[in-house]
Amino acid sequence: MSTQTIDVAFPAVQVDYDQCSYCGACVAVCPPDCITLHDATLVIDHDACTRCQRCIPACPTGALTIEQRP
Amino acid sequence: MKNQYDIVVIGAGPAGSIAARTTAQAGLSTLLLEKRQEIGSPVRCGEAAGKETVEKFLPLDSKWIAAEIETFSLTNPQGDYVVLPPLEHTLVLERKIFDRELAHSAAKAGAEVMVKARVTDLIKSARGIEGVRINVQGKRHDVRAKIVIGADGTESQSPRWAGLKSIPQLKDYYTAAQYLMTDIDVDPRICQYHIGWSLAPGGYAWVFPKGDKQANVGLAMGVDPKEQHTAIDYLNEFVAARYPHSSILSQVVGGIPITNVLPQMVTDGYMAVGDAAHQSDPMTAGGITNGMHGGLFAGEVAIETIRQGDTSAKFLKKYEERWEAEFGKLYRRLHRIRHALLKVPEEKISRMIHDASKLDAQQMSLKDIFMIVMKSHPPMLLEVAPYFLGQ
Repeated sequence: MSTQTIDVAFPAVQVDYDQCSYCGACVAVCPPDCITLHDATLVIDHDACTRCQRCIPACPTGALTIEQRP
Repeated sequence: MKNQYDIVVIGAGPAGSIAARTTAQAGLSTLLLEKRQEIGSPVRCGEAAGKETVEKFLPLDSKWIAAEIETFSLTNPQGDYVVLPPLEHTLVLERKIFDRELAHSAAKAGAEVMVKARVTDLIKSARGIEGVRINVQGKRHDVRAKIVIGADGTESQSPRWAGLKSIPQLKDYYTAAQYLMTDIDVDPRICQYHIGWSLAPGGYAWVFPKGDKQANVGLAMGVDPKEQHTAIDYLNEFVAARYPHSSILSQVVGGIPITNVLPQMVTDGYMAVGDAAHQSDPMTAGGITNGMHGGLFAGEVAIETIRQGDTSAKFLKKYEERWEAEFGKLYRRLHRIRHALLKVPEEKISRMIHDASKLDAQQMSLKDIFMIVMKSHPPMLLEVAPYFLGQ
């Protein structure tokens, strides 16, 4: 198994595309406007993201997490 | 598509289509843009709207009316419910058809309608907003406009690009999920609201019949970072407990701002309408006819603006003033009521519904019911009573 370096202090918001419905609930509450919704893609600009985590509880399906992968 | 229009409207939902129809009817060159490939789809809405209000905007047509509702009921988690006396005749719409008909009516009035046309940015200058950058099937175009009307929905970005403060606070945001269910045993004349924090924390669940043993069964909850479960989780629980034998035909989810409208809905050359301007009502988050009113007001002000040759924010403020005159007081009250309700423990709300369920509601006015129930709960009376007494 390969090892991966993860910035634990500043983990990125992850999208579970199996759960995402592309509804835009996260887009509306994102202060730096770093989430973009196209027809069937949700793109997060991780450089612009401040990790404020407002998007996570706003998601109706639980598709967004900020937990690091083990 | 031309390079220049009087009016460009972003988003062909009810608010955008009404805005475009209004300006096109007045002879203004109007372009109505929809990013999706199909207007009205996917449906992201409970689909209930006041009959008389809808009729003001579009002649009633059975092809987009799924059900005619006579009244509403309030149910607590124990299953006690009170059927309220009729307030306003309500329709449950077939939004897919309804939205398309509205866009059609805008086109018939002379608006140019384009689907699969995604706005990627606004064109700005020192004088304000001067048009839109769009992407149509991979090709980029700049389209100039005297006025841009942003009707791009809850996930809208145009208000931000225009410089408006449009990010809702989480305390004023619903996260929601809905199933279209079939083979469901519900009274086709009653829209049900289910209230209880254990059922839908900070929100409510609804069952809106759509005829033919179908119904929209949905749930909206407040956003709480400490909450472990999602709107879908709560909806699944609600459905499993009540309709275990019904099938789910479709699923929609979404977020809805319930902040009350944006403090500022216009800037130079730009107006926001509908969900983009947070025009859903700040208690139930109902927004179809509200957004249509927003579109109408913005369209009418746009006509005046262009006739006067002044597209400044100062002039466009007339749109905000019209909204304020029509909905300002009501919305502030609904917003207060919701926050007052949030402080009431579930047991108290349940008991109030239980008490009311013992009354013969059909024989009483709404005012009578509320006076009786509220007597046992004075603090609520102060906030809620004026609304129901129609002040």
